[in-house]
Amino acid sequence: TVVDGDGIPLPGANVIIKGTTTGTLTDFDGKFAIEAATGDVLVFSYMGYETVETVVDDQEELMITLTPDAASLDEVVVVGYGTQKRSVVTGAISSVNASDLETMPINTVGEALQGRTSGLTVAAASGQPGSGATIRVRGITTLNNNNPLWIVDGVVVDDGGIGYLNQSDIASIEVLKDAASQAIYGARAASGVILITTKSGKAGRIRVNYNTYLGFSEPAERIDMTNATQYAALRNEASVNDGEGVVFNDLSALGKGTDWQDVIFNDSAFRQNHELSISGGNDVSTFYFSFGYLEEEGIVATDISNYERTNLRLNSTHEVTPWLTFGENFGYSRNKSIGIGNTNSEYGGPLSSAINLDPLTPVIVTDPDRLSQFPYNQDLPFLRDANGNPYGISQQVAQEIINPLAYIQTRLGNFGYSDNFVGNAFVEAEPIEGLVFRSNLGVKLSYWGDESFTPINYLNASFSTAETSFTRSSNNKLDYNLENTLSYSDEIDQHNFTILLGQGAYKENEAKGLSVTKFGIPVDNFDDASLNFDVPENKVVANGYENVPHKVSSLFARLNYNYAEKYLFSGIVRRDGSSRFGANNKYGVFPSGSIGWVVSRENFWGGNNPVGFFKLRGSYGVVGNDNVGDLAYLSTIGSGRNYAFGDQLGSYDVGYSPDAPANPDLKWEETSQLNIGFESRFLNGFSLEVDWYKKETTDILLYPRIPAFAGVIGNPARNVGDMENTGVEVNFGYSLNKEDYGININTNASYLHNEVTYLGDGQEYLDGGVAFQSSTFPITRTAVGEAVNSFYGFKTLGVFQTQEEINNYTNANGDLIQPNAVPGDFRWQDSDGSGSIGEEDRVFIGDPTPDWSYGITLSGYYKNFDFTIFGQGVAGNQIFQGLRRLDIANANYPAKAMERWTGPGTSNSYPRMTNDDPNNNYSNPSDFYLEDGDYFRIKTAQIGYNLPESLLSSVGFEKVRVYVMSENLLTFTKYTGFDPEIGGGVLSIDRGIYPQARSFMLGASLGF
Amino acid sequence: CSDDFLEVEPRGQSLESNYYRNAQEAYNGLVAAYDPIGWVGQNYVAKEFALNVASDDFYAGGGNSQDVPAIQAWSSYTLDPATGPQEELWRRSYSGIYRTNVLLSKLPNTEMDEQLRSRFEAEMKFLRAYYYFDLIRLFDRIPLFTEPVAASELGNAVQVDRSEVFAQIEQDLTEAIPNLPTQIDAATEAGRATQGAGKALLGKVFLHLERFGEAAQQFSDVNGTPGGTSQYGYKLLENFGDLFENENQFNEESIFEVIHSSASNWGDWDCIGCTEGNLLNQMSAPRGYNVLQQGKGAPDFIAGWGFNIPTKKLVDAFIYNDGSYDNRYKYTISNLDSLEQAGIISYEESYQDTGYFLKKFAGEQEDRSTGGGNFELNWSQNFYDIRLADTYLLEAEALVRGGGDTNRAQALLDAVRNRVGEESVPATFENILRERRLELAGEGHRWFDLQRAGLAAQYLEFKGYVEGKHDKLPIPLQDLTNTQLEQDPAYQ
Repeated sequence: TVVDGDGIPLPGANVIIKGTTTGTLTDFDGKFAIEAATGDVLVFSYMGYETVETVVDDQEELMITLTPDAASLDEVVVVGYGTQKRSVVTGAISSVNASDLETMPINTVGEALQGRTSGLTVAAASGQPGSGATIRVRGITTLNNNNPLWIVDGVVVDDGGIGYLNQSDIASIEVLKDAASQAIYGARAASGVILITTKSGKAGRIRVNYNTYLGFSEPAERIDMTNATQYAALRNEASVNDGEGVVFNDLSALGKGTDWQDVIFNDSAFRQNHELSISGGNDVSTFYFSFGYLEEEGIVATDISNYERTNLRLNSTHEVTPWLTFGENFGYSRNKSIGIGNTNSEYGGPLSSAINLDPLTPVIVTDPDRLSQFPYNQDLPFLRDANGNPYGISQQVAQEIINPLAYIQTRLGNFGYSDNFVGNAFVEAEPIEGLVFRSNLGVKLSYWGDESFTPINYLNASFSTAETSFTRSSNNKLDYNLENTLSYSDEIDQHNFTILLGQGAYKENEAKGLSVTKFGIPVDNFDDASLNFDVPENKVVANGYENVPHKVSSLFARLNYNYAEKYLFSGIVRRDGSSRFGANNKYGVFPSGSIGWVVSRENFWGGNNPVGFFKLRGSYGVVGNDNVGDLAYLSTIGSGRNYAFGDQLGSYDVGYSPDAPANPDLKWEETSQLNIGFESRFLNGFSLEVDWYKKETTDILLYPRIPAFAGVIGNPARNVGDMENTGVEVNFGYSLNKEDYGININTNASYLHNEVTYLGDGQEYLDGGVAFQSSTFPITRTAVGEAVNSFYGFKTLGVFQTQEEINNYTNANGDLIQPNAVPGDFRWQDSDGSGSIGEEDRVFIGDPTPDWSYGITLSGYYKNFDFTIFGQGVAGNQIFQGLRRLDIANANYPAKAMERWTGPGTSNSYPRMTNDDPNNNYSNPSDFYLEDGDYFRIKTAQIGYNLPESLLSSVGFEKVRVYVMSENLLTFTKYTGFDPEIGGGVLSIDRGIYPQARSFMLGASLGF
Repeated sequence: CSDDFLEVEPRGQSLESNYYRNAQEAYNGLVAAYDPIGWVGQNYVAKEFALNVASDDFYAGGGNSQDVPAIQAWSSYTLDPATGPQEELWRRSYSGIYRTNVLLSKLPNTEMDEQLRSRFEAEMKFLRAYYYFDLIRLFDRIPLFTEPVAASELGNAVQVDRSEVFAQIEQDLTEAIPNLPTQIDAATEAGRATQGAGKALLGKVFLHLERFGEAAQQFSDVNGTPGGTSQYGYKLLENFGDLFENENQFNEESIFEVIHSSASNWGDWDCIGCTEGNLLNQMSAPRGYNVLQQGKGAPDFIAGWGFNIPTKKLVDAFIYNDGSYDNRYKYTISNLDSLEQAGIISYEESYQDTGYFLKKFAGEQEDRSTGGGNFELNWSQNFYDIRLADTYLLEAEALVRGGGDTNRAQALLDAVRNRVGEESVPATFENILRERRLELAGEGHRWFDLQRAGLAAQYLEFKGYVEGKHDKLPIPLQDLTNTQLEQDPAYQ
């Protein structure tokens, strides 16, 4: 007989004679029969329980007790204001557990989620150390703020502030994906909710864990650019094509010139991480203490690209009386980050300059001839290297495209910082069994700011600074939330239920700040800069601000019910009031319901069904979004309509006028979602979970343009737009754990389809879109029937090879469609059939958001060795690659320009060289700039070795593991830029993204 | 929680429903109503700059033919409803009109001195007329509002006959003039509308309507004795070149100025339209400008963006038959081409480079803002919207065209030429027009002059100007969606 820990029979458990295929299943009473020889080993296994092996002797009957495997069925899931057994959850919730994150080189929570759960699109904002990620839960929900709601131990933490968390302190992350799960967070849940629980101590002896890794990072990919000779040849060609003379006469003397990527990239950027935790407790109190330190140097312009974080945490609980518990979770972090400035911009910064600077310019100028010429013969504040040589100033390109080493000199020492104190304290009382009152106060106190010094400098003709300046800004804010809940749970004849009633009050975003700049302080470097220097009053610029707070007041209730853990039901209703809406619509009510059926618990399922667990579930609910800005419903008087009366320079009058007409009817955006799915476990070790959903957002708050003749600055906010997301998510796993070896596979894949369904009567698309340099046309458009911010532009139909082809490309009247074209120019698609090429010929040419996001984790162990390979990828999106500055005719060229059209038959995809560009080959946003964004990346690969126990006991350690690992080891993609993973408000727009580093690290974990 | 918890107050911001309570708040509204005069659009469209490049005196220039498309389109007459300066110029005037209408509707309930109230009302009417006069000269048929329009009414607005707009302009100015101050305190009020400015503007309106006698009357009130000091204290500045020195703003020749300032400190790339600066200073300075040899007479320009390039035609206009240059040339135009050939300077050629730059407004190192914000967006040089030399010549024009006092017309023209040491020429309409071109080059008048004289088609043909179409700008495309407005037939 096979029973569980409570002595209850387990039907359907697997019994196998080890090393054979002979086996059977237990029946409804947990009984089984098998013929085995003495000495055979019987293996008993059951989904969700730990496997037991027994050697057969001569007994007739065996009594086997299987104990639940903590990591599986009885795993509890955090659901918001409580937990639930995984097996009875009816919503779509993804979890990431601490064990998945241990010793992984993860600096931010975004990285912890990427590829590890289904239903998320995660893209790092850049490879600058410490930068965050763009996270979308089940696609883009609104045209406003799409950031999910983060809740850490019951404290609401805004999206920008989540970076304070140390990943090794995380016990679990839950992503609430369907409306039924989200509804308990009501009005702010529409873009998804991410719940984070930090670790706590356990009663028992004190445990100490230390984990560290150290290593180096390097860039994984470079962009092939033309060298000096190729560059000069292309310049000559463009000039000749434009009817002018050659620019460079002797190409042979030019050689390769400067490779600016060599100049800015660092192949051995250092990184290190240390995590120490001490935890323990007794039956009255438990505690968990941790300290963490991480440092990561950037691979681009390391002198001004760096990140440091220090963390402290103390979590504890105390039983005051057997029915009253008190506890707190407190975390502190200090971040210091030094950034290169633009991490994805064509307008300056080391990356943009490395791409656009001509290879003719030397890094430093040492040639005496050159030094005696302009501009070096002038008395200008050139920036110089350690030997006093001036950094080269380009004679070919100007504007923001500056020698990156000189640029670095102007930013040395500048940094930003943030100090975060995030904590909560709670009391929990259980006066009668099952009735729990809990009061939780969460607080987030943040201080952040930056300091920067600009020396006197001359970078080029457009960029010079005649006066030093030193700026310090500091900001702070205090967010808090207070929540009280009362819950009662009981079980009556297999009717299990939990009722929760709750109330909450939240205040956020009441930030304040000051910034002061002093000009003309008499120092030449950051370290000596100080605001103590006295400068004349007109050399001081000071600014300050305070935000309007965002407040929410809520009531909520939930009923969880199940019968014998077979028939499941959950219902939630939440009513929220928000300070962001006027009296007409201040409150919103958000209901949801979900049901589940654990089919495998039905008698008919049969004890020997190979599918050990099968649950069907469905849910429907409505949630809201108030993340739409403050005071949008009022007609405010705005300042800044200034005019400078009076006959004195240097003063002005501040003018005031109404901003936009009021809209007292403004209300919540609402997102309703239908979710259907199943969870199953089968064939002893396999699991499969599938979800399908359809999510509809209505009343999206937009600022539809009112006519300019109204004369107002702003457009009033109105609830106008609708949009829809549908998707499928699949999680598949396999797990085999033996004493000597084991293997675990976890995969997930999510498919997503986004479509805007309504933007107002007669409104086919929104004005605006993402701008592309100086091009007349934006590169994205949000239109009805398309995905949000789809790429929009001209379609190329190859390159005209001959004048004859141009002459044959005519309209109905026989006129040339492209009269300005010459051979080597793009043939544009006349999409509107007007017979000429104009803005109406633009069409949808791609989608920046991936259709598919997926992740694979493969891990295993053999004896004392273990390994993990974790990979993640996306598919189905396009990347707009706009690296080269169009308005800087002499900018360097990508090496693929060498494949340009130079005569009939030479190229049908890359047009001729030209600066005048009468056919707008380059200035028109078109599919020429699009590339497929599919990629698969080996995010982490790790091999570890556990020192044998025999060795450990002698030194008093419980566990010592050493490991080597690599981050971003390999990326499989056809994309030609630095990195196909490009986050941001609109994904997949590459303006010279700071690429993610490839790192190699050595680590060790110790426990005693 | 109680409902009070959910009430939040704007900070540093008031609500329309409780504003304009007192004289100070009314004054703040008045400042806002003046603000659009110095309008700098988010895409670099400023009125004077746009009008310059539309004329035969300047090309757009810039980095390439796509650089600031709105400006390029007017310079090359490739205007269409979607592309051109119309959106910004339309928005500029209607923003001003809305703000004057708001203040006019609120003033009756403001607690303030009666005399002050009537002056404020007069200034608002002056401004409303000023904005409508720009609109009606740039567009064919426009909607007319004399009070703030509710958002719900916008869909019902229709265009009115041009004569209705002119009638409103005339009425506003006629009502405003008696209550506008004859003198103002220059230290704090310079730049606000005066009686002189009101009459000068009314004169311009009459001249536009070819009501020559009435025009001459208004101008003569402003001008007084040619060469002397008028009743409002106006007098030609002694030295022509001093007109374009920053420190000489609001001089005695100035009647109405477009004020720019470097003091706002907060024009930056995120909000180009927020600046109070003069963009033409930045835009008309040569690209990549470097002085290679000091002390050789190279202008002290900054490296700018190389827009607003003088045409050869403008330069030629300064050259008399004997080959000598008009004395105003050296204050107006810099020939960098020849300086570069002499190895004294270097600069990057703009699109449509001619080698010439507009010296009057090209930004100079000494005027570069050292305050906060981006210096590129914070130049402080003012424009003259109306100055005495301008009204002298307009009065002369009204007299000549209207068959008025030709002696006075001659005296007015002579006074302008006298000041710059040029000899007298006969006061014909043609000579007056040429004089305006030389005197006012780059100050945004030429395009209107050509329209008024009916010469635009002839003089602008080389740029692609089409008669009967390009005398007006298209109605901005976006204002045709979900409204009753109709496009100018010429652009349909």
